[in-house]
Order: sequence, then structure tokens, then C-alpha cells
Amino acid sequence: MSERIVVVGAGMAATRLAQDLPGVTVLGDEPHPPYNRILLSAVLEGTHSPDAVTMRMPGHVDLRLGTRVVEIHRAEQEVELADRRRVAYDRLVLATGSIPTLPPIRGLVRLDGRLHEKVHAFRSLADCERLSTAVPHARTAVVVGGGLLGLQVARALAVRGLATEVVEGGDHLLRSQVDAPAGAILARDLAKLGTTVYTGARAVRLTDAGLTLDNGYTLDTDLVVLTAGGRPSTALARRAGLDVRRGIVVDGQLRTSDERIHAIGDCAQFGDQVTGFVPPAWEQAGLLARHLAGEDVTYEGARTVARLRATGLDVAVLGDPERTDGDVVAISNPVVGSHRKLVVRDGVIVGATLVGELSRIGLITQHYDRGTVLGPREPGDLLMGERPATPVALPDDAEVCACAGVSAGRIRACHSLDDVRETTRATTGCGGCAPAVRQLLATRTLEGTPS
Amino acid sequence: MTTTHCPYCSLQCGMTLELKGRALEVQPWPEFPVNEGALCRKGWTATGLRGHRERLTTPLVRDRATGELRAAGWDEALDLVAGRLRELRDGHGPDTVAVFGGGGLTNEKAYQLGKLARVAIGTSQIDYNGRWCMSSAASAANRAFGIDRGLPFPLADVEHTDVLVLVGSNLAETMPPAARHLDRLRESGGRVVVIDPRRTPTADRADLFLQPVPGTDLALALGLLHLLDAAGAVDEEYVAARTTGFDDVRRAVAAWWPERVERVTGVATAQLRRLCTLLAGAGRVTVLTARGAEQHAQGTDTVLAWIDVALALGMPGREFAGYGCLTGQGNGQGGREHGQKADQLPGYRMIDDPAAREHVARVWGVDPDALPGAGRSAYELLDALGTDDGSRALLVFGSNIVVSAPNATQVTARLAALDLLVVADIVMSETAAMADVVLPVTQWAEETGTMTNLEGRVILRERAVAPPDGVRSDLDVMAGLAERLGSPVPFETDPEAVFAELGRASAGGRADYAGITYERIRDEHGVFWPCPSADHAGTPRMFADAFATPDGRARFVAVDHRGPAEVPDATYPLHLTTGRVLAQYQSGAQTRRVRDLPDDGPFVEMHPMLATRIGAYDGEPVVVTTRRGELKAPARIVSTIRPDTVFVPFHWVGANRLTNDALDPASRMPEFKACACAVGLDTPSLVPRDGCSTNETPVGRVASASERIETPA
Repeated sequence: MSERIVVVGAGMAATRLAQDLPGVTVLGDEPHPPYNRILLSAVLEGTHSPDAVTMRMPGHVDLRLGTRVVEIHRAEQEVELADRRRVAYDRLVLATGSIPTLPPIRGLVRLDGRLHEKVHAFRSLADCERLSTAVPHARTAVVVGGGLLGLQVARALAVRGLATEVVEGGDHLLRSQVDAPAGAILARDLAKLGTTVYTGARAVRLTDAGLTLDNGYTLDTDLVVLTAGGRPSTALARRAGLDVRRGIVVDGQLRTSDERIHAIGDCAQFGDQVTGFVPPAWEQAGLLARHLAGEDVTYEGARTVARLRATGLDVAVLGDPERTDGDVVAISNPVVGSHRKLVVRDGVIVGATLVGELSRIGLITQHYDRGTVLGPREPGDLLMGERPATPVALPDDAEVCACAGVSAGRIRACHSLDDVRETTRATTGCGGCAPAVRQLLATRTLEGTPS
Repeated sequence: MTTTHCPYCSLQCGMTLELKGRALEVQPWPEFPVNEGALCRKGWTATGLRGHRERLTTPLVRDRATGELRAAGWDEALDLVAGRLRELRDGHGPDTVAVFGGGGLTNEKAYQLGKLARVAIGTSQIDYNGRWCMSSAASAANRAFGIDRGLPFPLADVEHTDVLVLVGSNLAETMPPAARHLDRLRESGGRVVVIDPRRTPTADRADLFLQPVPGTDLALALGLLHLLDAAGAVDEEYVAARTTGFDDVRRAVAAWWPERVERVTGVATAQLRRLCTLLAGAGRVTVLTARGAEQHAQGTDTVLAWIDVALALGMPGREFAGYGCLTGQGNGQGGREHGQKADQLPGYRMIDDPAAREHVARVWGVDPDALPGAGRSAYELLDALGTDDGSRALLVFGSNIVVSAPNATQVTARLAALDLLVVADIVMSETAAMADVVLPVTQWAEETGTMTNLEGRVILRERAVAPPDGVRSDLDVMAGLAERLGSPVPFETDPEAVFAELGRASAGGRADYAGITYERIRDEHGVFWPCPSADHAGTPRMFADAFATPDGRARFVAVDHRGPAEVPDATYPLHLTTGRVLAQYQSGAQTRRVRDLPDDGPFVEMHPMLATRIGAYDGEPVVVTTRRGELKAPARIVSTIRPDTVFVPFHWVGANRLTNDALDPASRMPEFKACACAVGLDTPSLVPRDGCSTNETPVGRVASASERIETPA
């Protein structure tokens, strides 16, 4: 009999693992099928329908939704469910994700324990749908948290017509990803798009008058959206006595301190790294699937590329540019709202921030992911942006018509388009050179005329 | 004056030939609708091989004493070949003889070659170079639509679509007159999208150009369909009424959100969104793939992903919309329909289908049980030559394997290990030069035969001049060999008679030619298959009412991106891709010998940023290395290519020493279009050339009027 592999959690990491590992059992806490969490702000904005973010588990998976695991019995190799039933495993995979942290704001939670009616978390599809339903009845919104998710939600709400403000406790936006000048440029861009940003200000109290900040402002608002982040969900692992620091500690085979138990995704910690992104979670899931299938593979940590998904704001952060050693090649241009920086070590891009000008994002990401060794001028060239083409006079030996192999000189020697066709056959193939030929014939008649 | 068609690509441009004195002159044939009189320089100079000093006019046999080829008579050569083949066949069984055909052969020759293999030799080991051309599109179309006709509509239909998406096609250089349709489409307000790792002259005509990493067109399609679905642009009514399998596809593309696609393909999300917006708002969309999408170890899946896009938008079967493949070789279409493919019999019948065997055997006058089964695919056939379970003799018709096979060093070694190599050709190609026996055959304009162009239109090339003394037609050669091999049935040598037989053999098959005659082709500017009877008008447009699947519905196929078999690493940090240049065709055996076509040899196209990195200067030699071989050629520095990619044209010996022989699991297509390489200077320079120590930088060349001169910063 093949190994019984049981996965706790039915989020993105679990979905990916199940795709690569036929026959697994997936125990999901939430009642609905997994969905693509990173597209929730797109659902809010309206560019994606809720159906389009639903991740469908492949058919060969034993998927049990609404099934909460309350205990791991390591000695018996069983997990216990909320209804006291048990599920046996040979290998257990924890993909429990993260849980949102509530900021310490008085008045967020009502006496009955529920959130204040104006307050919305933004973590699950249910959160997203509840917020989306509230939008048509609101005029104003305050987003608490100026991280990637906060900015995405703020833009989505603004696109849907709300007057939106952002409150960020740190001294600049995206403070865990980018430096202060980049954050300042983003704040300016947001202001241009109609969204006010309060940095260095904490929301402390929610009352009928509005949301009060520690700088004394009170923001009158219909909606308060909390995007202040999350922490790894580790309670189950902790109770089972596994090694847990910020996340569940795993090694190069994504094994916890119990060799029959693995952890992947937001709940896991590899080295110092706890990631909150889908791509590393998927990378881990793919690698674990291969490991469980018997391949000799080792996880070496994630290369993250964080992308802001918001209309009108362009941000990409590769790696951790603010905390990575290397030479910094940077161009900051607040005049046009761009700020780009590459961190380069031994010719390799080891981190990058791109704000406002992303035309080379595809190439820079390729270099980053592949560890391409660049020449000394190349990082600078990569930031220069492509120059607009300069029209130049064609030399006589330049080929104008590739189909017939005709040079500019031979066209210049002709006196009309018919002459060109008959004597050179230029323009008779694909026809693409016709504009150039007409231009050459036109400039020929002006020859000698001072321009 | 004779009406005929160009000897090269699948566009098969109509032209006329007229003998003026001793010269045979090419003139336009404006009435032929595909090209309306337009030709590229290859067409204009197509008679350049007539009377060429390198033309073979006598059989050649390798002399045992000297090891050199010497002239021989036809009987001597054919007796020798047949005698050796019989010996080998008697000693090791019929599969010890292999046959290799080409996508440039006429339908008649392709058909007869399949019959020669199955009936006269009795071998299952026959395949052809079309396996390296569009076979991934063929296997994808068969799965999705139940039939494989490159374009299921006339090419000129693209002038009336709203958005034309070209995936991996550089038709402005590879089939220039076709680009006129693009221009007309744009003049009437339509849009053109080009997807290619190089900003080609075709891309210069596009309204939107996306430049993905080689080997990632599949991920791009998945991301596009993700966005289209999210935007509600899926034609749910069409999907429900005319297709099956969309749910699995919808699930697959949910995992390909734009930022993930950006990271894999190197195409910025903003660009992908632009493409989505363009397609979502269009009433009619036409998607065409070519070698750039197809020649990959995931070529079939890549084409399926783009077919999925077209189906989700509700396009295939709709007027002036749908999906098609731009076939490459002159008879790439007909060549794959009549039995020179390892697993097929005439009429696109499968060789393992008892009813198909029964039908074809009856036409051939043999016992169905005597027909062999499926053989190896092209690369696998060649890779096994001279090994314990491979063939020991090979007959080659219309292919220059030494130049065109992937991982060419390995393939050349396999050819050298043969007991007997026989090559029928018009000139001493690199492959013929290795042969034990070379048989000189007639060429275009000296013989009559039909071709099936990229639209599935069967056309006629008429004989315009007499062949030189000493050469024979391929049909004559095959009949001579069949007789000497003791074939149970005689072989026709008259092309029209062979075509009539082909028509009977194809009757009732998927590619049904039964109703097509030379006379009808002349009268109707070609006839589109299927054409089952004399009173049938032919089928210019397919799928209007039903697809060729058992239930009449098109099939969505869920696919996922795995990427090329070989990706860049520290030792081989760059992508290598290959392709064509305008003035040359395929292995160049013909075009390199035409005096009026420039034969500049291979070059290594690279971006100024890469050139600066390695210190290369335009026109100076660089060396490209892969795990399989190396090539030295001049650098050509252009800003039109991705900076992480180099391009080498494949018309000369060299490019395919570099390419990867990883095969697509369905089509057995090798991965010509993507592998990992390193590029360096030919000899390390004594002067610092990294661009930091001096103010010099490489300078771009002037390649054409459409390319701008740019200097790197």
C-alpha cells in the first residue's frame, strides 16, 4: 500500500501539493473550496469575478471541507478532528497558513465580540465579499496598513468610487519592502490619484465620530479596512510539541522536528525566512511533492518577487533590497514618479526595487531568478529605459527591400514607383518597404535643396 | 508559358514560367489568389538552379577501393542498392531498411514513398522531416478539432478578422507575400498582435508586440485565458454548445495570474492586460501559431493552450475567425497526409486502424496483414541507425538531414554507422556527400506534381522544361527500386496516374482527395480538401457546423507550463533560439547555390547589452556553445532581440549542432527553439573590451529600413 499523505489546510499551498501528488487527503477548515487569495483585491476592484479566483482541486484528491483538525497525535500518527474522529497518516503536511493580526484600536470589537459594523478584515473570500457588498452604500473608507495589501485595497476602493485614505504606522509606505524615497513617491502618486496617506500615524480609537489617529486627527469614514498583516498559524504544531519559532521550523526537505511531519507555505519557517507570498509557498509545495515521490531535492530558500496589483500604481520588489548587502545602482526621479534600484553583488542582481517605471521588469526578474552574471555597465543600462528610436538617413548600401534585396542607393537611382517596381522589384514582395521607398523617392526629388 | 508554384515555402506562391531563348523566366501570376502576383526574392530567383554547374546528372556510387564517389549507370546504381537492401532484409528483417522523406516532396512522391516502404520493402521504419516542422500543431489540432489542416480557412480570410494574433511566426521574412494580408487588415481597421522573442519585421507591422522568453508561449496563453475569464470575456454560449472540457481548463488557468506569468515569461503584466483588452473587445479573433510556438518539447501543449484561448472566445468555426497553423515547408501539409509519417497511411488514416489498413491494402492490391505497423518518429529513427535494434540502411528523399536534424553531430555519427546510405537529390547536399549511392533526380519545373499549401488547397506544379540528360524523376527511381525488390504490385511513374491512385487511397479518410483531379485544380485555382467526389466543391472553410470529433464538439485540453527541457544555468546562462532568414530556405541545399541570393553564412544575433557584457563587436566572430556542440560565427548586434537570448539561423551546418534533441511526448517534435547556451569571444582579447575601460561600445548594424540604429548607453 502506498503512503497515506494527509494535508492539513486547503489553501493555495495545499492545492498545489495536491496537484502534484495523486491520492492525498486534504482537510480544509473553511467550508468553501480554496481560492486564489492574492487576487482578492482584484475581486474587490471588479476585475476578477469571485468564480475566477476559485482554485479547483484535481479529481484524484480526497478533499474534506469544513473539517477542522484540533490535535496531532504524533505517537499514533493520527490527527484528531473537531468531531473527535481521527485520520491516520504516514506523512502529515501542515499547510495551515497564517492568521490576521488585529491592530490595537479601541472600539474595533463590539461588546458582543463581533467587529464594529464599519470594520472589515481583508483576509478571506468571505471578508472580501462582505466588504464588496458594503461599498455601494459607502462614500468614504480608511485603510489601516500601508503595506502591499493595504495599497491594493485602497486603490480598489478608490477605483470603485470611494474617497479613500490610508493610515500607516511606519514612517513610509511599504516599509517592509522599500526605502523612504520610494515610499514618498508612492504617497505622492496616491495623492494624485485622490487618496490621502497618513504616515507615522497609528489609529487608536473608533467612535461614531470616526477613526481617531494618535496625531490627533479624526477621520470621518463609512468603512475601516484592516490590512495590517498576519502571523504564521502555528497553534496546532506548538501543541504537538514541534519546534516552532515565528513559524514552524523546517529543514531543506521541508521537514519539521518530527520527520513524518512537513510544513509548507505561510506557516513554515526556513532559516530566518517566513514568507507571506504564494510563489514561495508553491515552490515549497512543488519541491515537497517531488521529495515525497522519492526524489533527492533540497529547498534552498525563496527568491521572492513582490508585485503590487493595483490600477495606477506600479511596484515590484525583488528579494529584500533594504536588507541585502551589495552595490546599489539607483535612479530616483520624483519628477516623473519613478524610483528604481538594483542591489548588485559580484555582477548578480540580488535585490531590486522598481517603482513607477516597470518597462524592464520582465528582463530584470529573469536576471534575478537565474542569477545571471552581468557586465559592469549592465545594471546601469537596465535602468536607463529604452530610448526612442532616432530616424536617420539611410546610407546607399542599406537594404531597403529585403524581399528582393534592394539597397537605398538603387531606389534613389529610380525616378518613380513604377520604375522601382520594374527595375528592382522592390515593393512587390511583402509590400512592407513601400513607405520607405516612397520616402526615399520623395527625398530624392529634394536633393540639393537646403533643409 | 506554364503556370506553377514557387519551389520553396508553404505559401506556394503562384507564378508563371516562360522559356525566353535558353533562359527560363519567372513572371507574376496575378490571378492566383494566395499571393496575387507578389513574390519574394527566393521566388524571383527560383530558376537559378537550372543548368547549375553543381547539378547532379549521373548516379554516383562510392568506390570501395578509393572511398570516393564515382559515376555509375542507372542500372548499376539501382541494382547495387536493391541487391544490398535485399541482403540486409533477408539477414535482419525488413525493418533493417529505413526510409526518410521530406515536406518538400510532391503529394505523389510522398504517397509513393510510403507505398515503397510498406509494400516493396515491407518496413515500418519510415518518417520524414515534417516531424520537425509543424507536427506539434498537427497533434494539437487532431486532439482539439479531430482533424489537422493547417489553416481551416483560406489565408486571405485574415484580412477580415478584427484581431490577428501571430504566435511565433515571422511571416514577413519567412513568407513575405503573406504579410500583405496583415497590411490590408490594418488598413481596414483590424489589429495585429505579434508574439516573438525577437522584434522581427513581422513585429514591426504589429499594433501590439509581446517579447517572451523562448519556450514560454504556453504560460503566456494560460495567463491570457486567466485574464479573459476574469474579465468575463469567455463566450459561455459557444463553450456550452460547441465544446467539451472547459471546466478543467478554467481550473488550470486560475493558477496563472498575470504577475506569475510575468515572472515566467518576462512579459510585463501591463502588456498582457493590453492583449486581454484587445481580444475581449473584438468580435472576431484569429490565432495563428508557427514554429516559434511549436518546436518545443511542450509544443503540442503550447498549441493546445492557444487553441483553448480561441475556443474560449468562441472563434473556431466562426467566419473570419478561429485558429490555424502556418505550415512551413512547401508540402508540409500534403506531405503529412499520404503515408510518409511513421504512424499513418494515405488520407490521414492511422496505420493501427484495421479499417484503414483494409481500405489502403485493397487499393494497393496487397493483403492488409502484410502491411507493417507504426514505426519510429523522425529523430528516434535516425538516433537508432546502426545500433542493435535500429536500421542499417537508409533511403533519403528530399531531405538534408546533416544540416536540419537537431543535435546534428549525434545524427551525423548515426548516418556514418550505416551499412548503406542512399540519397536521392538534385545537388550534392551535405547528406548526399556522406552517401554510398547518390541518385540524381528531377527538380521543380522539370516535373509535374501536386502540393497542398498551408490552407489545405491542393495545387499543381506543371512541368515547364525538360530535365537534363541523366536524371530521373523520384517516381521513376521508386518504381525501379520496387521492381528490383520484388514488389508484389507494380509502381506507377506518371504523376497524374499516381495522383488518381492517391485519390482512391485517401477516399473516405480525413484528408479525402477522391474528387480532386489535375483538371479541376487548373480550373479552380486549386481545390481544398476534403473533396470526396467529383461533384463536391471542396472545403475552403471547416467547422462551421461541426468539428471532426466523434461528437462534433471541439475539445478543450487542460495543459500546464513546464518550460523547456534545458534552461539557462551558471555554465550556459543564455537562451538560444533558431530560425530562418529571408534569402535562404531550410537547409539551404537549394538556395545557397542560387547565385542571386546572398549566402552570408550563419551569424549570432545578440542584444547590445549582451554584446557589451562579453565584449563582442558587430561582425567579429563569437563562439556559441551548448552541451552538444559549438558554432563560430560573426556577431550581429541588434536591439531587436531579448538581451538574455541569442539567435542563430539554421540554413548552414552549425546551428543544429547546438540544438537540443528533447522531444515533445505527443508529436515527437524536437526542441529546436529553446536551449541553454554560452557565448564568448573567439579569442580572448588583449585589450580590455568590457566597455568600462574605453569609451567604445558596440554599434548596431543597419539591417533594413525598418530597423532603427541604436547605440547602447
